[in-house]
Order: sequence, then structure tokens, then C-alpha cells
Amino acid sequence: MDLNFHAQLLLNGIVIGVIYALIAMGLSLIFGVLEIVNFAHGEFYMLGAMFAYFLTANWGVGYWPTVLIVTGVAISLGYVLYEALLVSLRGENFERSILLTLGLSMVLQNGAVFLFTTTPKMTATGLSYSNIIVGELRLPLARLFALGLGLAAFAALYLVLYHTRVGKAMRGVAQNRDAALMVGIDPRAVSRLAVAIGIGLSGLAGAVLAPVYAVHPLMGFSFVFKAFAIIIIGGLGSISGAAIAALMLGVLESLVGGFLPLVMVDALAFISMIAVLLLRPQGLFGRGVRV
Amino acid sequence: MFKMRLTFGAAAFAVLACTAFAQAQTGPIIIGASTPLTGGVAHFGQHARWGAELAIAEANAKGGALGRKIEIDFQDNRCNPAEAVKSVTLMLSEKKYAAIFDGLCSSVALAIMPLVERAGVPFIVANASATSIAERSGVGGNKWTFKVNPTDASMLDALVGWLDKEGKAANIAFLGEDTDFGRAGSSGLEAALKKRNQKLTMVDFFQKGTADFTPVLTKIKAKKPALLALYAIDADFQNTIRQWYSLGGGIPLTGRVLVDQVPKEIMASGFLDGTTSVQPYDPSLDTPANKIFVETFTKKYNVAPMLISFESYETINILIDAIRRSGNASPAAIRDALATTRYRSILGTLLEFDANNLIHNNAIIFAIKGGKVVIIGMSKT
Repeated sequence: MDLNFHAQLLLNGIVIGVIYALIAMGLSLIFGVLEIVNFAHGEFYMLGAMFAYFLTANWGVGYWPTVLIVTGVAISLGYVLYEALLVSLRGENFERSILLTLGLSMVLQNGAVFLFTTTPKMTATGLSYSNIIVGELRLPLARLFALGLGLAAFAALYLVLYHTRVGKAMRGVAQNRDAALMVGIDPRAVSRLAVAIGIGLSGLAGAVLAPVYAVHPLMGFSFVFKAFAIIIIGGLGSISGAAIAALMLGVLESLVGGFLPLVMVDALAFISMIAVLLLRPQGLFGRGVRV
Repeated sequence: MFKMRLTFGAAAFAVLACTAFAQAQTGPIIIGASTPLTGGVAHFGQHARWGAELAIAEANAKGGALGRKIEIDFQDNRCNPAEAVKSVTLMLSEKKYAAIFDGLCSSVALAIMPLVERAGVPFIVANASATSIAERSGVGGNKWTFKVNPTDASMLDALVGWLDKEGKAANIAFLGEDTDFGRAGSSGLEAALKKRNQKLTMVDFFQKGTADFTPVLTKIKAKKPALLALYAIDADFQNTIRQWYSLGGGIPLTGRVLVDQVPKEIMASGFLDGTTSVQPYDPSLDTPANKIFVETFTKKYNVAPMLISFESYETINILIDAIRRSGNASPAAIRDALATTRYRSILGTLLEFDANNLIHNNAIIFAIKGGKVVIIGMSKT
């Protein structure tokens, strides 16, 4: 096992970590503002990938327009989802929110099976079969773009949350909804925006990852539970915590997978989650303050 | 007065019982089926259903069996043994099914076997390939289970025999799904190699539904095996192949590679040249019966048949043949008729069950040369 082998594992791990972060950040944002665990989050990722597949394969839309269209549609879907289903939910309706989002997940997943069948679809864009090769290291172009877009999404979200009035309002609602209302912030508008951004991020993840992974109705399932573990490890509601935990998990999984049987890799996220819950219940980067 | 009521009641009961008996003898013959209609391998379950339904539609167009219509009732098992046990137990408790068809996944078929044995209903396996199904059937103990498709062990023995002749049986790595299908592939390959004083260089398994294979593929690439035996299906197969390509694997594949499902860009690039595979069927096989089957299937479902659809079609035809010869469509009579099957396969071979209730049809050995799949031989399993 030479240096190239370790470097390739590390590179793979960073890409996997950013992919996880892309999915986990939206989940964390929605939880941070609304205190709702969105069990349907993986399904929005799947719908984003499915929509990207149809845009590229059936309508010949290019990669970048596809990413923009899918993200835009996902943001709109987030607005509709909030106004139609989530508007009446608060943190104290935790059980209701679980049942509602779990039910929505089942409807979306089975609806996709009915409409698109379970046949795996491969999105073939110009990027799908191109690689960047440096020495013996290889990085597929589609993964490199996923990496770039993931980092850009994190930077954009960070800027919005910490350097805009809207972001300040979101953090205000997350910390104390009633106090935010008293100082003139509209919690409903802020929550709606948080859901729209959260679902938009999962749609973006779907569009970006459609050329990387096989697209099928069950693809969200494998990621969403890992994303839950990640946001718990990072600290519930902490966007930066979720992103860092995702990156750490991706690298850890890749390094462990390079030496130990692959079946053990899937357990890593949950072993880490249990360890964090035992040693630091608020999560690695949780400070008791969300978003 | 009481005596009159009793007589009337007894007469009514007798009429009802006769009607039910008559209906059981004249109503449709129902086959119960358990297959994954949702879940990770639902795509294959759909093809299994199409193949079975085509065979039944053709049989019904010719008058059914014993003058009765044939029906098939599909229950979803999600490729999950627990789901299959639940639905098949329910089907068997209704006592209206003449036979139980398939399960698709090896773990599911193995879970159904004790149920049909207790209920005394024939179980005919079309797609599940685990060797242990045949080992436990017929003289192996379970008299009610019949397996039409070849076992992994027999197919891999044929493949490894060919690889050995070509001097390519040394230094093979194995990657397969962590199910009875993958495990049977690993043990079948180990056994076939052991007969030739060889062994697998490395063995690894993955959970079904895994999206990212880059860690294990990087590990395999670093070990530099001569061939990689791959036991993956559906989305897992697509993800593995694409990621193997993007990592520049540079090592041909072997085992039960789904050569017909390799993305055309990867196939045409010549990246997989040198790959060998063994499968029980290929739609391009040049036999008159296969041409008719492919044409009829494609016309009906707007999609070409695959291995799963072929196996289901042929298995249901074998079952219908047994029902017709059984005389009364009772489970025991169907089982006895299945045991004496002599059926001409679409592949041209005459099929009979052996002492383990297993049919030995031909297996097809494929290779990828110059970015194209070519059949390089057929071998009895």
C-alpha cells in the first residue's frame, strides 16, 4: 500500500464528505428553525436527481441549466411544502411532525416507484465519464463539480445566515420564536424561507449527484439516515457542525473502507453518533444554540 | 319441527359444500407468487412478473390447464425474507393455491422452503440462484421445492473451468452483495477454484443499496488482482461499474457480470475488454423458440426480456405443463408431475429434474472483446 493509495482514499473521502454535507445541511437548517426532523428530506434529494435525469436525458438540457432549474423548482416546492403541510407545526408538535414527514416520504417514494419504476437510471452528461488524472490519482469530473458546488452551497448558506438581515432573522427565530415575533420578525415568513432553502439544498444535491450515482426511487433512503446521524454528531441545528461532521465522516468511512471490510463502513456513522451522544450530548459543535 | 329444521339445515350445508367443491374443481387454478415489487430489486421483480404473466396469457389462450383458466396472484416481498414469510404464510393458509412460484431473491426462497414443506404445496424456483436451495431439495430433504435455474456453483464451475483452460483462474478478487446471492457466489467461486488448486485473492461484501463504492474499489485496485468477480445487481451494479470505470480499475471483471446492463459509453470504451461472465440466458441467443419469445415479450411490454423474464417465463411453462399432466391440479399431483418433467427449453435442451429437484440447463459464457459482448461458449451446468 503506497502513498497514492492513501491519497486516493483521502480524496475519495473528502468528496463523499462534501456530498453528505450537501444533504445534511438542508436537514439541519430545517430542524434549526422549525424544530422539525424532515424524514422526507431524502425523497426531495431523489426527486431532484430524478428531475435532473429527465431534463438531461429526455429534453437534452445541459448540466449547468439543469442544476439551476432543479434547484429553483426545489426551492418553490419547499415554499409549497411549508404552506401546505408544515405551517401549523411547532417544536411541541414533534410527534406530529415525524408522522407527517414520514408519511410524506412514503407517498413520495412510492409515487416515484409508480411513475418512474424502480429501473436504475444513469444520467449521462458530458461530465459522466471524464476524469481529472494527476499522477496515479483520479477524480471524476462529476465528483469534482459536486465537491465545488457543495463547498459553494456551504459558503453561500454561511454568508446568508451570518451576514444578512434574513440570516439574522432566521437565527433569531431559531433561538426564540416569541422574542423574534416581539421585535418584528415574521416567524412564518422566516420558517417558509428556511424550508425553501433546505429543500432547495436537497434538490441541488440531487441534481449534482445525478451524474455520480444511479438514479432510482430508493436512492434517498441510503443517505437520509446517515444525514440524521451527521446532524446529531455535528450538533442538532448547527449548519457548520453538520458540514464539518459530514466531512469527517466521509474521510473516516473512506479510510476505514480501504482497510476493513466494506460492510463495517455503514456502521461507522451510527457508532460515531452513539459515542457523541454518550460523551457530548449536544453534539461536537453544538452550543445549545441552533443555526 | 326441530327434526324438519335439522334436515333443512343439513341439506343446505350439503348444497353449499357441493357448490364449493364444484367451484374448486371448475374455477381458475391459482398460482401464488412472492416477488419484490418494491424495494431495491423491484426492477427485476417486474421482469419476473412480466415473464410469468406472458406464459400464463399464452397458456390461457390455448384453453388453460385441465379445462380451467390459470391465474397468478403476486405478493410483494421487497427481497426481504421476513416479508416473504408473512405473505406466503397468508397465501398458504387460504389453501387455494395450486403452487407457489419463486421469490426471486435467494434469501427469500430459502425462507419460503420450510413453509411450503409444512403446507404440502409445490414451490418452483425460477430466479434465486443460491446452491443451498438445491442442496436442501429432493433427496436433500425438501420434496416440495423444485429449482429450474442453475445454481451459482454449477455456473461458476463452468466459468472457472473455461478460465482455467485459458490460464486465467489465478489471482481473482471477489466483491459481492451481502446476501445469500453474494455469499453463494463467493462460496461457489471458492469451491470451483479449489478444485483447480486456486483460491480467491480477497473477498469483500457490501450492503445492498450502497451508493459509494470508491473505498473498496480503491482497495481492490491497489491489490492488483488479475480479475474481479462482481456479484452486484440493479442500482448497485450500475454504481459499481461507473465508479470502477472512473477509478480507472484496469482489471477485467468476471463472475455473473450483467454484461447487458453495462452503460454503453463504458462498454464502447473497451475498458471492460477481457471481462468474462456466465449467465443462464441471453436475449441474442439464436434459437427459433428464443426469437419468438423475445419478439412476443418486446411487443407486449415495450422492453426486451432479460435473464429474469426468461427464467420466469420458462419456469411457469414448466409448472403449467406439470399442472396439465397432474390430472386434478392438486398440490401433491402437481409435485409428482413436476418430478417427471421432460420439457424442451427455449435454449433447445431437454429439461429434467435430478434427484435434488434441480434442472441442469446450459449456461452461456460471455466475453467482452473490442467493446462488444460475444458469446464464447455454452456449457452444461
